[in-house]
Amino acid sequence: MTTATLVLVVDDEPAIIRALRPALTARGFRVDVARTGQEALDRAAVQPPDVVVLDLGLPDIDGLDVLRRLREWTDVPVVVLTAEGAEDRKVRALDDGADDYVTKPFSTPELLARLRVALRHRARSAGGDDGPAGAPPVLEVGDLRIDLPHHTAEVGGRRLELTPKEFGFLALLARHAGKVLTHRMILQQVWGPEYGTESEYLRVYASQLRKKLQEDPQRPRLVTEPGVGYRLIDRDTPV
Amino acid sequence: MARGRQTPGVFVELSPPLRRGLAALVGLALVGVLAGGLLPVRTDVSVATPALILVIPGIVAGLLGGRLAALVTATAAALVLDLVFIEPYGTLDAHLVDDVVALVSFLAVALVVAGLLALATERRQIAEQHADEVVALARAGDAQRALLRSVSHDLRTPLAAIRAVTTDLRDGSADYDEGTRRELLDVVNDEAERLDRLVANLLSLSRIEAGALAPELQAVDLDELLTDRVRRLSRLLEDVTVEIHGPDELPLVDADYTLVEQVVTNLLENAARHAPAGSVIRIDVAETGDDGAMEVAVSDQGPGVPAGDRDWVFEPFRSGSRGHTRGIGLAICKAIVEAHGGRITVGDGPGGRGARFAFTLPIHWARPAP
Repeated sequence: MTTATLVLVVDDEPAIIRALRPALTARGFRVDVARTGQEALDRAAVQPPDVVVLDLGLPDIDGLDVLRRLREWTDVPVVVLTAEGAEDRKVRALDDGADDYVTKPFSTPELLARLRVALRHRARSAGGDDGPAGAPPVLEVGDLRIDLPHHTAEVGGRRLELTPKEFGFLALLARHAGKVLTHRMILQQVWGPEYGTESEYLRVYASQLRKKLQEDPQRPRLVTEPGVGYRLIDRDTPV
Repeated sequence: MARGRQTPGVFVELSPPLRRGLAALVGLALVGVLAGGLLPVRTDVSVATPALILVIPGIVAGLLGGRLAALVTATAAALVLDLVFIEPYGTLDAHLVDDVVALVSFLAVALVVAGLLALATERRQIAEQHADEVVALARAGDAQRALLRSVSHDLRTPLAAIRAVTTDLRDGSADYDEGTRRELLDVVNDEAERLDRLVANLLSLSRIEAGALAPELQAVDLDELLTDRVRRLSRLLEDVTVEIHGPDELPLVDADYTLVEQVVTNLLENAARHAPAGSVIRIDVAETGDDGAMEVAVSDQGPGVPAGDRDWVFEPFRSGSRGHTRGIGLAICKAIVEAHGGRITVGDGPGGRGARFAFTLPIHWARPAP
């Protein structure tokens, strides 16, 4: 990368800006700041950022509206900051195109990890070096290997016997490794567009997958984001 | 005001004695009208017909005016029955048994009706009282929830900044120079101070709620208090310039030093939160002139308080038309100032820009030396 990645931090709380600016700068990011929703939309138009950290509680415009208005013209990765207990707003933000979320009070390393995942994922889905289809034919997340053309999956060299829906579920999570996917997203992608509210299916399938993956409950690969969705993480990459 | 559905509204609006009197009059008038109407046919019908019909006035009077009106009307109806409809007409000379039976049944019907009405009214009043209590409880619950929401928001914001810094420093993956490291620790320090101010406000709030906010008055030098506050809040006021304006010789005020300190702190914190970086926060101290009080005004050059929000900006836990919560700080200012017999107001800043929060405190009149 020739120029440093530009992060637009949108938060009306000066203390959060004061905490994040040095942390991001020290990791090689350039930092732009907006204190209001309107300022965020203006800044993003004038100097398009590579990634946005967006607090959903802004003084002027609802953060969800800021996100929707950004999404009208840009697919810049957006990581939203939400207050604890606002599960419905997280889910709405993710369904409306946010790439991930971090709950306040958050840990800075966790936010940085989310930013990196969002940036990496966006670079991959933008085509880049991952082949013409956008997604590589073989997905690897740690020791999990998913061969999309052959519909096979193995973990540590051990072949997994998966039903088509289980395979679809796992492949979808692996394609978006590190990123949270909402119940609605998973249901619509794997079960079909007429699904969206049947999150109980996912509980059953997630628990079957965990058994087949022989998951360590202390360090699961398939992580439940309560009330929001699921995320597949590489256990060997610390978050 | 209680409104009955079972009785005509106009009667319920009247005072009870007037209502009873009017109901009795209506009952008596009805006795007259019915008796007059039945008079031409009294020889063609049996006594049972007028007897049954003359029960009606008692019921009506009982419904409208209660027990006393029912009693008067039913007695009159019983007399009229005997005089007009029981032979020999024009006398009260009937069989005693007939009279007693008529009187007792008239009274019984009228009184039972009046009693039922009284019971219904009482039930209704209890129900309304309960409804009021339910509403009051719901309001208290709302205030409680609003308090919790506001406090958790106010607590979480500094905590979020503190946690962001401490997790970052503990992670150790960033190579900070000494200046940046100090700056990050300043964030932790400033936000810890902010939490401390919040806790002070919460303690005051609990004293206010318990009705235990009694200022311990002493002669206070406002100039000294203001200068000290501005100095102590220098970190909070780092990005703005604070100017204190006032006459050289300020009269002392009668005030609780600690409480007034808290008012000034909250007003400065509020001003700092809304003032743009590099702007001036102005503190003006002046005698109000008319009522022997001093006025302290804190003006900022921020967005100001919209006219529509000014009525409730001092109410706890309301958020403004811009959706910004002002927390409990201003509500506490109001409670403290009013406990001193002063008043607090909000208006436009100098030149119509920003917000100007002003409060008054009584001037201390020195007792003559003994």
